[in-house]
Amino acid sequence: MSGYWPWWAGAAGLALVTINYALTTDRSFGVSSAWDRVLHWRRERRLERMDEEFTDDRELVEALAAATAEHFGTSPGAYTVPPSPYGTSQQPETEAEPAASENASDASPGPAPLVTQAALLVSVFLGGLIAAVTSGRFHLRFDMGPGFKELVTADPVTMTVLLFVGGVLVGFGTRLAGGCSSGHGLNGCGRLRPVSLVATAVFFATAVAVSFLLWKVI
Amino acid sequence: MRTRGALLLANIITGLALGFTVANIGFGDYAELNRMFTFQDLRMLLSFAGAVVIIVCAFALLRVRRTPGRIHAGVIPGAVLFGTGWAISGGCPAIPIVQVASGYLPALVTIAGVTVGIRLCRWANARYFHLDRGSCGL
Repeated sequence: MSGYWPWWAGAAGLALVTINYALTTDRSFGVSSAWDRVLHWRRERRLERMDEEFTDDRELVEALAAATAEHFGTSPGAYTVPPSPYGTSQQPETEAEPAASENASDASPGPAPLVTQAALLVSVFLGGLIAAVTSGRFHLRFDMGPGFKELVTADPVTMTVLLFVGGVLVGFGTRLAGGCSSGHGLNGCGRLRPVSLVATAVFFATAVAVSFLLWKVI
Repeated sequence: MRTRGALLLANIITGLALGFTVANIGFGDYAELNRMFTFQDLRMLLSFAGAVVIIVCAFALLRVRRTPGRIHAGVIPGAVLFGTGWAISGGCPAIPIVQVASGYLPALVTIAGVTVGIRLCRWANARYFHLDRGSCGL
């Protein structure tokens, strides 16, 4: 179908999005992860609150240690803080961050706030809407297009069932594998993470096999 | 750029750009997707693969922080389920959102399926699998 970007523009666009996010936030983004956290927002909010409380506790302990040290003229010494739910509040600020280190797992900044994950999903919708409207492709319809009709089914009931089942497989599978085409495919493969390379190879190969079945057999 | 507001802004910009880009590449178009997976048209495949190559080079040059990732027992079964679902429904988790934004109303059913699948996975993992699946979105 005409009107879509040439491959190099698509590659540049996807790469820019991913690189920009990594450089500005020092994190990876993942749409399935965002879905997961937004859908379990009650639990996530509770964890965030607990994390904030632990951060406050740490600040309190630090302030008490500093005041004690000042009073007695000694060094603050070691103190213990209970582990935080996300494990994010304990990284000593004074430690140099191994930004370029291969073994930088301890410097993981922890999950992005829940609201940012919800914003990501809403923004994907808005970005898609802007693209559809500006390119003239926006068209309200009750089917999935001629390709789906031809390759999968033209029956609306079968279509609804298959879309739902397909959606369940996507949701379950991405979370079981720990990521999707954005998290594993772009961010993970971009960082050459072995788990992402394996996951991307497997989900892509499976999608190829199933697509050939739909095209040639079913 | 670690503050809450800055992260929020980064996610909004990323979401807008990602939705705009994948829609313009054609990932929301089922026919285009099937042509990619059956190698009839390499345009979208090259978009994705080209992006990965650019990102690998850029991350290596810019020394972007590597995140750990352990291959656990859920990776391969999960990826097989995801690949099957993607080929059937035409949606990886971002795509049904873009499809709805392009006017494909039945993609709302895909979104409903995705939400059920995600909730089911967290429930099943807590009850049966007990896998530390990690998260790509940290």
